[in-house]
Amino acid sequence: MSEAFKYLSAAIAAGVAALAASWGNGKVITKTVESMARQPESAGNLRSTMFIGVGLIEAVPILAIVIAFLILFL
Amino acid sequence: MGNVFEFIQHKKGGHEVLEKSFVFKFLGLSFDLTGIIGSTLMALVVLFVCIWLSRKVEMKPNKRQNVIEYLLDFTDGIVKDNVSDKDAQKHLSLYAFVLFLFIWFMNMLGLFMEVKVGDWTVVKSPTADPVTTMSFAMMTLLLSFTFGMQKFGVGGYWRNYASPVGFLFPINIIEEITNFLTLSLRLYGNIYAGEVLLTLIGNRLAVSFGLPTMILAAPLAMIWQAFSVFIGSIQAYVFVTLSMVYIGRKVTKE
Repeated sequence: MSEAFKYLSAAIAAGVAALAASWGNGKVITKTVESMARQPESAGNLRSTMFIGVGLIEAVPILAIVIAFLILFL
Repeated sequence: MGNVFEFIQHKKGGHEVLEKSFVFKFLGLSFDLTGIIGSTLMALVVLFVCIWLSRKVEMKPNKRQNVIEYLLDFTDGIVKDNVSDKDAQKHLSLYAFVLFLFIWFMNMLGLFMEVKVGDWTVVKSPTADPVTTMSFAMMTLLLSFTFGMQKFGVGGYWRNYASPVGFLFPINIIEEITNFLTLSLRLYGNIYAGEVLLTLIGNRLAVSFGLPTMILAAPLAMIWQAFSVFIGSIQAYVFVTLSMVYIGRKVTKE
């Protein structure tokens, strides 16, 4: 029975993490594309800032994935 | 000498622990052999790459010199964008360059090879271990303290915690701890999740139904490895950028 709960909880953690990461990333990249269209000469700067933003946003959802692995395998 | 070494087994009631590191105790301290082997190997690789790229330096740059100059310009750009103090920029440019190369090579090692001896993983990405990434984040934290105290003096440094308003002092302290934790765990989580997924595709998916899943798993593993190369590069860049941001904030006078 606890095996079943392990699988369920790992799946929920991973699913919610995926939702959170994609929602956050979507907002950042949308704004970046809009700003690049407005001002093409600052595209390089915007691209670097976008990567930093994506790296920051994905930090905690990735931790949720690691916790899902720990639930499954520890 | 018999009882000086001691092996620490991760026994978890018969469960399999993914990517168990080989930990041994020497004179009462635990050492992680996997981390030692991986990071020493990658330090040597960085050393040899830099030496190889910088032979025959001329005024008109040849191809190898172009590569190392591009890398140096890249990390110098990171430092200049985020640290506004010219004196600190001079000191930090080498740190940013070495940190970027070191972390990048360590992230790539786990995609390139994984050596298992018995139950233990002996060669994998050192950054897939939270203790390694915490060491790097601790380096950045201590460097930020050093640069802040060099610029403002010890008293002025503590007074900066209470700026702009005095009651923000505990919040600024908590922010230090949070920055340290997220900096280290971000790198660890990204690299560890990538490696675990790669292992699962190879060991579980490919053998579950015989030949059809093997044919399915091969391009999936390749796609995932390509994505992990991308993620590893991004995470190295984000780690160095955030380190520079944290150090830069300590040396700016608001």
